[in-house]
Formats: sequence, C-alpha cells, structure tokens
Amino acid sequence: MSALPQHVDSAIYEKVVYCFAEALGLDEDEVAYDSLVIDDLGAESLDLLDIAFRLERTFDIKIPRGGIETAAQKALDDGDPYEVDGVLTERGRTVLADAMPEIPREEFREGLKSVEVALLFRVATFYRLVMELIAQKAAT
Amino acid sequence: MPRFAFLVHPLTGFHRRVVGVRRADWSMAVGGEGRGEPGVICNLTVEGIAEGVVVSVPLLPEPLLTDQQAALEAMVRAVEVAREALGGLDAVGLGSLLAVVAGRGGALAERVDMPVTTGAAATTWAAVENTVAVMETLGQRRVAVLGFAGTVGEGVAAALGARGYEVVAGGSGRAMERQAKKLGVELSTPEAAAGSARVVVGASTTGGILAPEALAPGTVLLDIALPPTLKPGRRPEGVQVLAGEAVALPEGWRKGFWGTIYHWLSYGHNQAYACLMEPIVLSVVGRDTPYAQGRRLKPNALEDFRRDARALSLRPRLARGWSEVRPQALLTGPAG
Repeated sequence: MSALPQHVDSAIYEKVVYCFAEALGLDEDEVAYDSLVIDDLGAESLDLLDIAFRLERTFDIKIPRGGIETAAQKALDDGDPYEVDGVLTERGRTVLADAMPEIPREEFREGLKSVEVALLFRVATFYRLVMELIAQKAAT
Repeated sequence: MPRFAFLVHPLTGFHRRVVGVRRADWSMAVGGEGRGEPGVICNLTVEGIAEGVVVSVPLLPEPLLTDQQAALEAMVRAVEVAREALGGLDAVGLGSLLAVVAGRGGALAERVDMPVTTGAAATTWAAVENTVAVMETLGQRRVAVLGFAGTVGEGVAAALGARGYEVVAGGSGRAMERQAKKLGVELSTPEAAAGSARVVVGASTTGGILAPEALAPGTVLLDIALPPTLKPGRRPEGVQVLAGEAVALPEGWRKGFWGTIYHWLSYGHNQAYACLMEPIVLSVVGRDTPYAQGRRLKPNALEDFRRDARALSLRPRLARGWSEVRPQALLTGPAG
C-alpha cells in the first residue's frame, strides 16, 4: 500500500478513514488510501450504504444514490450508450476512468460489467467524492 | 414488567397496504402515500415476563436505502410511538433493513437513550443451533456457509468451526481470505462451497449469490434471507430449504388479532424469527448494552445471548417457511 499522496487533506482523510473503520468494524490502521473497498476491506453491498451514511453525517453532504456511475452516465449527453447488456461500452469505460482518476486506467478493461465497477472502488474514490461534494457545497 | 419494541418496515407494497388497513390509513391501504407516520401494528406479550409492541415504519426498501437520514428520523418517531403505547420502554429491536440503515443501530441508539439491538446475535444463534440440529440428524460434519462477508455469515462460520465442524465459506477476496485463515475455515466460491456440502447455510441474500442448480441433490439449505431470495424451480432432486432463523414461541406468548395477522404474514402462526427475540431477551435481562449493533458481533455476544435465551427457555426450531413440521419429518419428508 502506498503512502498518502501530498495533495490529500489529512484532516479530511482521517475522518474518511474513521468512517470506513466504523462501518466495517476494522481498526483504522487497516484502512489505507489505496485499499480496494470490497476486496481488501471486505465490504459487501450493504456496507457501501453504511459508509455513505457515515460520510454524509460526518461532512454534512449528500451523496447521490449510485453517485459515481450516475454522474458518468449523465456525462454521456451525446446519446452514446453507457452499457450494452450490462457490459460497459468503450465510451462508458472512458468516462468512468476520467471520473475516477485514482483507479488505474487499465482496470477499466474491455468486457467490464457495470455490476463490477464497485470492485474497483478505493478508499481514495470516496475521499475524492467527499472533497468534490464539500467544494460543491462551499460554492453554493 | 420489562417493555420492548420491535421496529419493522413493509417489504412489499402488499405488506404496506395491510399496514394501511391496520392503521385505518385508507390512502396507504389502496397503495398511496398515506400519512407516512410510524404506528403500532400489534402487541406481543410473553405473559408474566415482558410486554411489547411491533411498530411499523411505513417505508419500503427503496426509500429506506435512498434517504437514510429520513429513515433514522422515522425510527426515532417509531420509538416514541412505542414508548407512549407502553408507558415506557426498555429495549428496541430492529427488523429487516432497519437493522442495516443509519449505522446499523448506532445512530438510533445515540438518539433514544436506550439499548438498540439489530438481531444479529439472535439470528446467528438460531442459525447455528438449527444447523447443528440438521448436521446431527443427517450425520454430517461438513457445512457450507454462504454470505461469509456479512455479520451473521461470519458469526455462523466461526461458531460452527469452534464446535468442530468442517466449514467451507463461500466468498473471495483478500479480506475474506484473511478472515477465513483467522477462523480456520476453508474458502471457496459460493457455487463450489455449496456444491461440496450436503448442509448449506445461506446467511445473505442467497438467491443473489447462488443459482439453485449449484446445490447438490439432497442438500438441506438453511436460508436466513427474509424474504427468501432463492429462486424457485430448477432445484436438484431432494433439495430442501428451511427457515434458518426460525424459533419456537415462548410459553405464554400472547399476540391478539393483529399479532396473529402479523405472524401469518411474517413467520407462521406458532413461530417467530430470532431477530424478534433479541429485544425481548434484552429487556428481560436488563442489559445496558445491546447484543448486536454495528458491523461485527462483539466477542461473547453470541454466548451471552445463548445463555440468556436458554434462561428464558427460548429454542430454535426447524421449519420450512412458516409451516409447522417436526424436525424428523422435515428431514425425511418430501422436498419443499
């Protein structure tokens, strides 16, 4: 697991880590910036809901249901399909990779199914989402 | 007398309409929004031991999951409804998704100043005892546990392993590999695990992770999912599906007219699911701390509940859904 990148706000990040640890019943030192939320931390689908709830309360933000993927689908405003029969299109994969720069691009491989996208989520994905929503709230 | 509340929510539009009829909320009864407020749907009493109410939070799964803060506020109001109905309250239990949303009981406990328990300890206890009963009846030592990533699945696998059974957990990933190693259980894909044992515990939304045809002929599946999620049909010959968390009703159980309706729509007329028993036991024992709250069962939670449940003569029962069947007949009779 890598060290914390320099751009990360450690005060925010520590709260994000606390939310993960509380939701998953882990020690905080078991949660790393680049941890895969499902594979490394053992989260199941209902845990993602709990993590979202704790982040919302901690930072007074509202995480849209299916936020990351929904945003990516909306970005495809030219009518290109996001997925076909549950498999992400090339445009869909590109939009998602752009939306989640903390995930290595090669992980958005051809044939990736939309139900598999959550397997790519890192703690960093949620940290970035929190930072974006905080910035949005400040701008309004 | 100790007083408990059990908070539930409608799983389907049909259940919500029944709640509308019960509460004379005719908008809800015909499928509309209704008043949207929590209300008592029945009184459940264990004569001379505890009295309680089941309170409905009238939110379907989708809105519960979409706006957890709103769900929390509704649960807080539901506790107040229960407190008023009983003239006080000693413990709160959470049913179905109410045990998951809003911090798995934690956020509600912060608001209501009393123990709030999710039912996970009681569910794990019932699943373990029912599984052991099946294993011993069939003379089996190997058992598959699906849903190992979850609170109950992990607890069941740990408890069965500690009793000396050969446990194969269904799942994958580094976190589950670590946990399996820590507990000394085997890890395999859900399909391979289910196909390798004659007794299978489904401790998650079983239908979502297992195709029925992956079960070996003659398998007994103890399914904990509520409502059951395993798709009907295409089951290999002799597969039987039992309610993994069914418990017998205690002596002196009084449910009244609406309690009878609640039982028929939820458990069956002469049994309940274990999660309902957890707040009852909690209120009678007078513990300050819940048996289960949050993601993982605390050390000793299962043993504490087992001891306290036994003291109240509670016992799990083997049952197929809500039907009344004796264990031996259940395991030797026709497949369900």
